[in-house]
Amino acid sequence: MIRLENVALRYGRGPEILQSVNLHIRPGSFHFLTGPSGAGKTSLLRLLFMSMHPTTGIIYVFGQNATRISPGKRAQLRRRVGIVFQDFRLLDHLTTWENVALPLRVIGKRISDYKEDVTDLLQWVGLGDRMYSFPSILSGGEKQRAAIARAVIGKPELLLADEPTGNVDPQMARRLLRLFIELNRLGTSVIIATHDYELMKQFNTPRLELQDGKLQIADKLR
Amino acid sequence: MRKSALQNSANPPLTDRAEFYAPARQTRAAAPIVPAGSVTGRSLTVVIAIMCFLACLTAGAVYLVNRSAAAWFEDIASEVTIQILPIENTNIDKRSTQVALFLARQPGISRVRPLSVKDAAGLLEPWLGKSAKALSALPVPRLIALEIDRSAPPDMQVLSANIENSFRGVVLDDHRHWQAQIRTVTRSLALGGIAVLVLVGAATTAIIVSATKSAMSSNREIVEVLHFVGATDTFIAREFEKHFLALGIRAGLFGAGAAAAVFLLMPIITQLVGGNAVTAAEIRRLVGSTSLDIPGYILLAIVLVVISALCMLTSRYGVYRILHSRH
Repeated sequence: MIRLENVALRYGRGPEILQSVNLHIRPGSFHFLTGPSGAGKTSLLRLLFMSMHPTTGIIYVFGQNATRISPGKRAQLRRRVGIVFQDFRLLDHLTTWENVALPLRVIGKRISDYKEDVTDLLQWVGLGDRMYSFPSILSGGEKQRAAIARAVIGKPELLLADEPTGNVDPQMARRLLRLFIELNRLGTSVIIATHDYELMKQFNTPRLELQDGKLQIADKLR
Repeated sequence: MRKSALQNSANPPLTDRAEFYAPARQTRAAAPIVPAGSVTGRSLTVVIAIMCFLACLTAGAVYLVNRSAAAWFEDIASEVTIQILPIENTNIDKRSTQVALFLARQPGISRVRPLSVKDAAGLLEPWLGKSAKALSALPVPRLIALEIDRSAPPDMQVLSANIENSFRGVVLDDHRHWQAQIRTVTRSLALGGIAVLVLVGAATTAIIVSATKSAMSSNREIVEVLHFVGATDTFIAREFEKHFLALGIRAGLFGAGAAAAVFLLMPIITQLVGGNAVTAAEIRRLVGSTSLDIPGYILLAIVLVVISALCMLTSRYGVYRILHSRH
């Protein structure tokens, strides 16, 4: 699905954030991506999402060399990937419902085709009563859930989530994790970047650990 | 598939306040992804409206002059003049009659109309005044107006040679000199008008390019999110260009409407700036009617369409260029 070969990344003339990273994300896999702050978790997710180019190395996304594809092809590939940002990236002038429906709108689907799906998903993530509220009045946790709903509404083959439970209470964190697990069971590969060890303990899966720019597979936490 | 899986999950929804779920505002899903206010402000609308106004005034004025010139040209082309110069010791009236009879027999001439002394004096009146004494003292040539049969016009060179061979001191004036002058003047005016239109178009393009850059800059976050959710450059460009098209139409309607009002109200405007009936008559003589006819208003509508299309296409090109530079 996604393969990184000797990928390195540095910003400008700074030190290498990532060094010789080799990684193969297989269909239907589930990974936690962990490591100390500044280890490059977000950068790695951005590379996987094709919003950055590696300094060296090659990234294959769904069999395509991501460093050599046209903008149109990149857009097509991104539709197969859902991403949840740490800072949510919701559009303040659109309602929660409209924000969540955005990925379906940009691919030209008619509202009548996705109206129910969006409403059901928002209800499921506990935003049923916030559907027509604007993000500016949502709490951090609500924004987080809206961002997750937007990432999964298009039924992506790969879900990338950057600290998706950072702004929610433990109960909601468990609930969101169950959503990710459910998606994974349905065939979506999931990579969750997190510091939350309690969360990682709840799902028995190998961890990808970034330390000093190097990526290694860490033991399971239980 | 996923929907049912989510619904069948062992975990019930966190909220069961079903009364909040009524999709009362779902129709707002058609809300613009890029807010109109962040792309086209009122001042931009005013500037484009002024550009459209100037373009419409220019196009309308060139149209009026061309229409009048065409009418003059038609008048001049359908008539030629015979001048019978006074020759000492000859009876000019008798010569005039002989020439008229000769011309009436020539092919391609539908009407021969000799002008009387009074008619000839009338033509000189703007320069010599109404003094009969001054006129009688001058050797004023007699004139014969010939109307040409448009369906079978005569060969002017042959006709001229025949007249000059048959009569002494008789000259044919086919108004070619005036035709050339009118052609030159109207072509110059048309070229001037086109130059003004090109300048207005260039200024509009520059304004829209600048506005597009500004809009892209102020909506950078929206563009990023659109890219993240899989939007193509075409989709993003369309989101921006529809605002610019709306701007072009809105501003164009104001501009073209104002220009149409100017052409409609021109007689009143002439009076307001101190013109009287004579001034109005002089303007009419110079450029014909100052009001546009239906094709003239259609021309203004075409200017409106062109300005709107220019706004849309320029913004599309601008968005593509900016997005391309970011990839």
